[in-house]
Amino acid sequence: MAGLTSAAVLRPALPGALRRPAVRKLLALAVLAAVLVPLAHARWGGGAWPHALTLDFTKPLGGASDWIVDNRDSNPVFLYFLGYLSNAVVISVRAVYMTLLNAGWAGVAALGALVAWRFGGPRLALGTGAAFLACGVLGMWVPTMQTLALMVVAVLASVAFGGVLGLAAGLSDRMDRVLRPVLDTMQVLPAFAYLLPVVLVFGIGVPAAVLATVVYAAPPMARLTALGLRGADPEVLEAVESLGATGRQRLLTARLPLARRELLLGLNQTIMMALSMSVIASVIGAGGLGDRVYQALGSVDVGSALAAGVPIVLLAVALDRVTAAAGSDSGAGSDSGRSGGAPGRSRTIGWPYALAVTVAVALAARLLGRLEWPDGWTLPVADPVNRAVDWMTGHLYSGVPVVGGTADWAGHFTTWVLDPVRSGLQWLPWWALLLLVGALAWLIGTWRTALTAVLALAAIGVLGVWQPSLDTLSQVLAAVAVTLVLGFAIGIGAARSARLERVLRPVLDVFQTMPQFVYLIPVVALFGVGRAPAVAAAVVYALPAVVRITAQGLRQVDEAALESARSLGATGRQQLWQIQLPLARRSLLLAVNQGLVLVLAVVIVGGLVGGGALGYNVAFGLAQGDLATGLVAGAAIVCLGLMLDRVTQPAVRRAKKGA
Amino acid sequence: MTLTVPTRKPPTGDDSTPVFSVDGLWKVFGPKADTVPADPELAALDPADLRERTGCTAAVRDVTFDVRRGEVFVVMGLSGSGKSTLVRCLTRLIEPTAGTIAIDGEDVRAMNPARLRELRRHRAAMVFQHFGLLPHRTVLDNIAYGLEIQGMGRAERRERAAEFVAKVGLDGMEGRRPGQLSGGQRQRVGLARALAVDPEVLLFDEPFSALDPLIRRDMQDEVARLHDEEGRTMIFITHDLAEALKLGDRIALMRDGRVVQLGTPEEIVSSPADDYVREFVRDVPREQVVTCRTAMRPADPGESAEGPALAPDATVSDAIEAVARAGAPARVMERGRCLGVVDSERLLAVVAGTERREEAA
Repeated sequence: MAGLTSAAVLRPALPGALRRPAVRKLLALAVLAAVLVPLAHARWGGGAWPHALTLDFTKPLGGASDWIVDNRDSNPVFLYFLGYLSNAVVISVRAVYMTLLNAGWAGVAALGALVAWRFGGPRLALGTGAAFLACGVLGMWVPTMQTLALMVVAVLASVAFGGVLGLAAGLSDRMDRVLRPVLDTMQVLPAFAYLLPVVLVFGIGVPAAVLATVVYAAPPMARLTALGLRGADPEVLEAVESLGATGRQRLLTARLPLARRELLLGLNQTIMMALSMSVIASVIGAGGLGDRVYQALGSVDVGSALAAGVPIVLLAVALDRVTAAAGSDSGAGSDSGRSGGAPGRSRTIGWPYALAVTVAVALAARLLGRLEWPDGWTLPVADPVNRAVDWMTGHLYSGVPVVGGTADWAGHFTTWVLDPVRSGLQWLPWWALLLLVGALAWLIGTWRTALTAVLALAAIGVLGVWQPSLDTLSQVLAAVAVTLVLGFAIGIGAARSARLERVLRPVLDVFQTMPQFVYLIPVVALFGVGRAPAVAAAVVYALPAVVRITAQGLRQVDEAALESARSLGATGRQQLWQIQLPLARRSLLLAVNQGLVLVLAVVIVGGLVGGGALGYNVAFGLAQGDLATGLVAGAAIVCLGLMLDRVTQPAVRRAKKGA
Repeated sequence: MTLTVPTRKPPTGDDSTPVFSVDGLWKVFGPKADTVPADPELAALDPADLRERTGCTAAVRDVTFDVRRGEVFVVMGLSGSGKSTLVRCLTRLIEPTAGTIAIDGEDVRAMNPARLRELRRHRAAMVFQHFGLLPHRTVLDNIAYGLEIQGMGRAERRERAAEFVAKVGLDGMEGRRPGQLSGGQRQRVGLARALAVDPEVLLFDEPFSALDPLIRRDMQDEVARLHDEEGRTMIFITHDLAEALKLGDRIALMRDGRVVQLGTPEEIVSSPADDYVREFVRDVPREQVVTCRTAMRPADPGESAEGPALAPDATVSDAIEAVARAGAPARVMERGRCLGVVDSERLLAVVAGTERREEAA
């Protein structure tokens, strides 16, 4: 209170320009820089991060990893805890896998279709069944089942683990304060960063893959559970308490049912993230579809990569639709009463019926001896696709009159955009970069976010990976610039034209459900390997989210403000620039933030297709067993992610207290 | 503004212990809240000064009242006057800062959690402004919810709940969800849920202020009817003076956390305790609230034998009709005895609002 009033008294005394908070922040920073920069420059010089300020982690990390490898079979922590954990994971994945195989392709497809029917009706059932059959037709039945088995175990563990954390954060304010920043940060980290620590402890293999998946996929469940529990209507909870409910009754009869929507959304997100991660985790021995893509990309065999990639996409879309349908099914306000005539039920079927049909189909397939996908029914897509790619390489790569070829574009992009940005970043003195990041973060957010961003960037320098990180950063910046230009343009278009929106929606839906890994396949086909394809994949991956957030933000602009502008005779352009864009500022900033986070994730994965830099270090570390290099790169990725997120995090206005 | 004041049965005073007895109750929000009631200097400060000095807000300040068995006790005040906090303190949905609360002589603030749950389950049920219904349950299961909390079996509680569906006029809607009901219907569900546990006291927290005026009147009539039929003790929070006058046997008028006047509707309207109350009741059509008992004068000899007869509880507006029709003063009769007479002069004085001044003169 007192601070507010004194600020209000002081404010009129300041000269005009100083009244703007941005100017004051910049002035403060300039003063700080004027003192610190000459000192730093005199002591350590400009240019790249000074060697005197780096710490060499390679040796201790290498030592640690050697120690773990040596002691894995003798140390009690491994023997009695981690060993059991890893065994349990192996056994459960194996059990699910055997169950799926024994149900036969017909049984699994029938189960998928019937579950889809139960939640979403016959059309969804048809689609889901067809998706499963397509996996078989592509000759990928067994890898699909491997991926599915790994996913089932990982999702169950993530839901249990995330649910417990979410319950704790939802019911206790202190837990919420502790967990929220951790979960927020985990949300922005690229999947690749999670791989190395697990490999360090568990070695390459299925347990490491499952655990990395769980760590990656549990946060959304925890966040949404906490959100659902906290978002419950306080008057309902008060009413429940006024009737004398115990804490347990309140949780079971009111809080959890009221959070149903969020819980199912959490399940949906967890499944999607688990799928994305279980595919990426093929790098550390997950097997299944991801492994096929990984191997195929390694030998630039686009046809095989596509054959494995299409089932991933089909699986993703089917899982997303079914869980989304479950989320909207019989929520509050639906018209099927529990005791009433249940008009909503006619389209769907009951659980016992679904289960009976599945068992019957599985038994029939077994009696007919058709458990495995029949060889004659597969369609060899790899060769034709490769022929098409070869033709493209021959005809479209370069020398196409007027427009040039795709490889030419990639080359030009690398020479004219990526290289200048990279050399520009690397030319900047290290302190200038720190200052720039600090200034940007402070202008957009608070001094806290600015401090975190600067510290994260400094940590990269201390880790001794300044140059490769700037290489990664240059790719991220180039990709984000392209993404934002395209995304804002399409988003504005979608917000202004209902028809474009209708056309875009299903496309965006599909694009948003696909795992990051899959995006590498088409870009390798089009552009070959290198930094440009990694950037292209990142753009394609991040674009849907940016388009969606932009369009949503513009459409949510206060209708009254727009109406008053129209009544004053504003043109469409004036409405856009003077009303919609300024009022949607927060959404646009969120789009930038999301764009950065998503682009970073794919640019890192792009290390697998010649993107180089940090992603390559991680992949190299994994492939060569040089965990120290990989871990340092992983830590740098974490810092980079943190920095990029904090720089674009707008200051959250505190909720008014005691209102 | 039309007010129909139902002829109330006077609360049956056979049981002398009040249902709720509140004495010196305080609720202070803010840091070190418990120092405020204890310190007479702080306790005397007005709200703005108190916030300046301590950062605390006193929502309820030194409130004392008894609720008699079978009466409708209305707590009225504008928003921010502390009335909703007060009613939540009664069952400790909000923990009071100081003072005593007793239900049937038992100290509520001394209750352990189990005993307190017992109180909330069986003795006092509450109806909320925004209904507080569970959106994922049907009407029937919402009404049965209180019974479920008590541990009653599914079949039994549904059977009980079905009775109350009919009682609040929701027949045929048992299977619907709250989202499919209108505001008035939802509040009927809220009312039925509270009634289903057969509580000793019903607490209403501005139950009808979220409803349209016509529906509100229906619901008020519904509550009045329920009270006439069952005689259940009710504590009714409202910011609507007309509602307070219509339903209340006694009204506590709150301002800034204090009770500024406690009395029957007639007392409040005809003898406001201070300028605030006077301003509050200025537009009330007095003839519909003031009774003949207040308006009458002693009968002159001879008057007690003839003229139309009126009950002492009859309103002045009833009396005006009777006097106008007969063309002569009316007698106020109780158990065959003439208490006094009302003539046109007296009645006009009530309508004009001059009768207090006459008495003072």
